[in-house]
Amino acid sequence: MVNENLVKDVVKEPYKYGFVTDIETEKIAKGLNEDVIRLISQKKEEPKYLLDFRLKAFKKWQKMEEPDWAGLGYKQIDYQDIIYYSAPKQKEKISSLDEVDPKLLETFDKLGIPLTEQKKLTNVAVDAVFDSVSIATTFREELAEHGVIFCSISEAVKNHSDLIEKYLGTVVPASDNYFAALNSAVFSDGSFVYIPKGVTCPMDLSSYFRINSGDSGQFERTLIIAEEASSVSYLEGCTAPMFDTNTLHAAVVELIALDDASIKYSTVQNWYAGDEEGIGGIFNFVTKRGKCLGKRSKISWSQVETGSAITWKYPSCLLLGEESVGEFYSVALTNNLQQADTGTKMIHIGPKTKSTIVSKGISAGNSKNSYRGLVKMGTKATGSRNYSQCDSMLIGDQASANTFPYIKSQQPNSEIEHEASTCRISEDQLFYLQSRGIEFEEAVSMMVSGFCRDVFNQLPMEFAAEADKLLALKLEGSVG
Amino acid sequence: MEIIEKIKTNKSADNLTEIQKICLHKLQSSPLPNPKSELWRLSSKSKLSNFLDYSVIENNSKFDIPYPKNTQSTIRLIIGENCQIKLIEKNYSIKQLSEDELQKYIKEQISFFNQNENWSELLNLSLSCKHNILGLKINGSKIPPIEIFSHASSNSLNAKTLVIFLEKNCNVELLQVNLGQENSSLSQSTFFCLKENSSVNHGVVSYGENRSNLLNSLNVIQQKNSSYNLGSLHFKFNYARFEINIKQTAGNAKTNIKGMQITKKDEQISTYTKIEFNGPNGFLDQINKSLADDKSHAIFEGSIIVPKIAQRTDASQLSRNLLLSNLAQIDTKPQLEIIADDVKCKHGATISQLNEEELFYMRTRGITLTEASKLQLSSFFQEIISFIPISKDKWDLLDKLLNEN
Repeated sequence: MVNENLVKDVVKEPYKYGFVTDIETEKIAKGLNEDVIRLISQKKEEPKYLLDFRLKAFKKWQKMEEPDWAGLGYKQIDYQDIIYYSAPKQKEKISSLDEVDPKLLETFDKLGIPLTEQKKLTNVAVDAVFDSVSIATTFREELAEHGVIFCSISEAVKNHSDLIEKYLGTVVPASDNYFAALNSAVFSDGSFVYIPKGVTCPMDLSSYFRINSGDSGQFERTLIIAEEASSVSYLEGCTAPMFDTNTLHAAVVELIALDDASIKYSTVQNWYAGDEEGIGGIFNFVTKRGKCLGKRSKISWSQVETGSAITWKYPSCLLLGEESVGEFYSVALTNNLQQADTGTKMIHIGPKTKSTIVSKGISAGNSKNSYRGLVKMGTKATGSRNYSQCDSMLIGDQASANTFPYIKSQQPNSEIEHEASTCRISEDQLFYLQSRGIEFEEAVSMMVSGFCRDVFNQLPMEFAAEADKLLALKLEGSVG
Repeated sequence: MEIIEKIKTNKSADNLTEIQKICLHKLQSSPLPNPKSELWRLSSKSKLSNFLDYSVIENNSKFDIPYPKNTQSTIRLIIGENCQIKLIEKNYSIKQLSEDELQKYIKEQISFFNQNENWSELLNLSLSCKHNILGLKINGSKIPPIEIFSHASSNSLNAKTLVIFLEKNCNVELLQVNLGQENSSLSQSTFFCLKENSSVNHGVVSYGENRSNLLNSLNVIQQKNSSYNLGSLHFKFNYARFEINIKQTAGNAKTNIKGMQITKKDEQISTYTKIEFNGPNGFLDQINKSLADDKSHAIFEGSIIVPKIAQRTDASQLSRNLLLSNLAQIDTKPQLEIIADDVKCKHGATISQLNEEELFYMRTRGITLTEASKLQLSSFFQEIISFIPISKDKWDLLDKLLNEN
């Protein structure tokens, strides 16, 4: 009986992270101009080079046009109607978690993110970002013993300014695209990771992003640097409350892997997707890019995209170092009126570089799910290889699934293979499962999880279990 | 670009046909395609302007058909040479379309045209004068194979248009040959209308000579239970675009496409295909091959559109590419846009060079590297060439391709 009730509750409340934390916040006025940028920079006590970086990006952004090539249909965004800085009020500097507002801790607890160390069940260090600022980072001392720096980007600007100055904007330049330029101008916080030479990060690192305020945008920036022969696995999770307005999220993630280094970046994105009528939801315009600078370096992206009203996201790899490896594993699920345009870019520049792309798109309801990818072999990429596979699954006859793979080769001594297929849930398999006494919806979710297995296998364990449940939840009521 | 200036300033001269006027009007506000659009993004701007640099001529010099030895009993027609055709035999009839029929059909087509997507057709129809438009209505079965030639003379731009109606239950083999002489531009547009239960094996062979250009567009409308097989080959053009638009108006039709383009020197040849299924149970099997050598550039973009109505569509598309030189480049972009859920759709793409293991195997058996490469290439070509009707026996396409290498 308990179980039955649970299921009912779940169906009634499809988005369980939709609550709002009532906390006093410090916001600046709506609108965007040079003064706002100066104000953000001043609030964060930033050095001059960073202010210049922001202002330069802002100037470029003003000259740019919002891209429309993805064919996403959404209401025009009024960039002057957004609050660009919102932070929960707290004491100036926090030396320990005890000083964090208990309401915040409670929020993250509710989200299943243990910030208080006594609650640490898993061996994962967390950086929790609430609206525009980072609240807390756990396991600092332990990480510091290994020389690993894991902190918010604002702290990194203060304490590790040399690294920030050296690497910020080198992978995603300020003028890269419209949303990256906007982020470069107004980014508020995010995570910074530095893994020194030869260190294998002793635990998984994780960032948790929470949008709480309905009228402020979230513009975080993540920078991960893996020095020679180091390795790290980084997880990212996101949620937001339910508002009937759209909130803008424009993040930039930059990864840098030097010789023999490896970075694994996993995302479970579950921003609020809007209701069944398509009202509300997050506009998720994200630029994620990794640079395999060193020889034999490796960057692996894995993502489960289930939230957001609009997703516009192409985690990419620039494969510069000889024998460097890029990977992209993605599951994107859209339901109701969600639109997702996601994929990857694998740019093979150095010789003997390899990349693998596995993308699974599931579209249900009236949603639109597109894979858009680019594989490019440059003139020097001799002996390079790429393999891509993108499969789409359609549930219901109102959803659409599109694939747009661009393939470009300028190097005869390289190989590119691409496969794509579209299918629906097989009635034979469904019938088989049902005849064995498995409920209809459970059978569907089993099949969906089988469809995504290639990707789930790549996720860190805790994430894989969560992703599986998440998909089942999201599909609830969409089949039949 | 004299032509573009003319389009811009055109004051609807009296000697123009109504169709020409309509097309000119559609082009007037923006006479060139949008270079940023997906369809034209990769197309070389300088080569397109070179295409447009020649002045338009309406009457070609006398044209000699290649391979005159006509062993098979084929019907040979040359667009632009006054061919009054009215063949009525026991089992079939081939008649020229009346001017009214032509006008009506073309006008209807133009009404769906969009300046950028159908730029090649609009340009063609605005330049094509009456006697460069050939319209045929084909009826019956056991029709002898038909060969239709269009060609461009040196130092000029020629526009040729072909309209073919295949009546119900009719089946035919038809080879279209587009030839470009040295320094010439050919704008060729073909409109095919397949009525119910008709079937056609359509071949398109286009080859040029030194620095010739081609804009070749093909519009096919397939009614229920029709079957359209296309085998195409484009090579030896400084600049060529082959644009295919196929619409299965009520589904339940079959489309097979096997196309190939070969580029050398600094040539650029591209193929764009758009296949729309506007009804259920459609079938498509498409393969496109490109080979790029020297400093050339081969492009393939193929889109398959399956709206909600097109349930149980079965479509597959494969793009296979050989890149043989360090300076050559290949772009390929297969794309699927699907809304119907009960469909089987897949696509694949590969880019590689000749298979080294196979080459090594043959060399260990005493075959020279050149011979071994030729063998591999011939198997690459053969799949497409054997699909081009009529050409098999007398055109020696394979020889032509291999000996060029």
